[in-house]
Amino acid sequence: MRSIPMKQRSLKISLIITLIVTLMAAYTVHSQEDVKTVEDDAFSERMRPIVPFLHDEHNENALIEECGVCHHVYDDNGQISEDETSEDNQCSECHLPEKSKNKTELIKYYHNRCKNCHQQRNAGPVMCAECHVKK
Amino acid sequence: MHAVYNFVSGPLVWVSFILFFGGSIYRIVSMAQMAKKTDPVVYHFWSLKYAMRSISHWIIPFASENMRKHPAMTIVTFAFHICLFIAPLFLFAHIILFKASWNISWIYLPDTVADVMTWIVIGACIFFLVRRLTQPEVKYVTSFSDYVILAIVAAPFITGFWTYHQWVGFRIMGIAHILSGEIMLAAIPFTRLSHMLFFPFTRGYTGSEFGGVKHARDW
Repeated sequence: MRSIPMKQRSLKISLIITLIVTLMAAYTVHSQEDVKTVEDDAFSERMRPIVPFLHDEHNENALIEECGVCHHVYDDNGQISEDETSEDNQCSECHLPEKSKNKTELIKYYHNRCKNCHQQRNAGPVMCAECHVKK
Repeated sequence: MHAVYNFVSGPLVWVSFILFFGGSIYRIVSMAQMAKKTDPVVYHFWSLKYAMRSISHWIIPFASENMRKHPAMTIVTFAFHICLFIAPLFLFAHIILFKASWNISWIYLPDTVADVMTWIVIGACIFFLVRRLTQPEVKYVTSFSDYVILAIVAAPFITGFWTYHQWVGFRIMGIAHILSGEIMLAAIPFTRLSHMLFFPFTRGYTGSEFGGVKHARDW
């Protein structure tokens, strides 16, 4: 069997690694731009259909420009931080911290975020089936 | 639609809760005072032992002679009353609303179980309706209000089922569901649905009189 020279092999490996990293980066950027549903790993078993949510379209319609409106971070005094946001975190990371079995806690935060805002603005869905659409 | 939803799911909930809880206390207290004034023997003969003996025979299926004579009615009425309470109180969607409003939650049923229970309630209401229309002895004591009461009880379950399954017009049905639930709650103290409040007292007194005075069974 003919062995590949050391230099050539390491070049191949680094090319493959570069390709994988590029693809992963492209995928991540793509998925960030193209959020279509409200998802959270904490919801392993779903009681209701997943909520369709076109992130960019929603924020254009709702005239939301600040990320922190939804992706907020609370500071040590319990106030919403003005400089920090949390786009890279799932809601459950803060709102369901201790692997709690009581998922109603996390559901409450999701509903408060979406439904309360819709109620205050008299716009957007507020009833169960308006978001949790059966296919 | 937002204004209507906000109204029926906000202030009207409080109105119905106040009418239900306040009305229930008012009805029990005023009934107790009236009995003291016009029918003091109720207090005189009341016996906790005989009351409990009678109540226990009437809340266990087929534990009374009358229930054994009417097996279909017994099965339907027990299934109906159990599902009527369990389904709404342990419904996932309701618990989510309690959690959102008051930050309290408790165990909930799988939705399929709640669905079957809803069917049982609706089916039982149809059974009661047919019974009122066809059985001479029941027809004789039935008035128009009995049909209204039956509709008041069936409505939240029909509209809830409709809304959950997202059939056509589920938004209107959702509003109708909340509203009909509030009407039912508010109606309990002030209609024949008040048997929910008075059952332990009427049954308990009958049991007391039969047990303590007539030395007989009332089941």
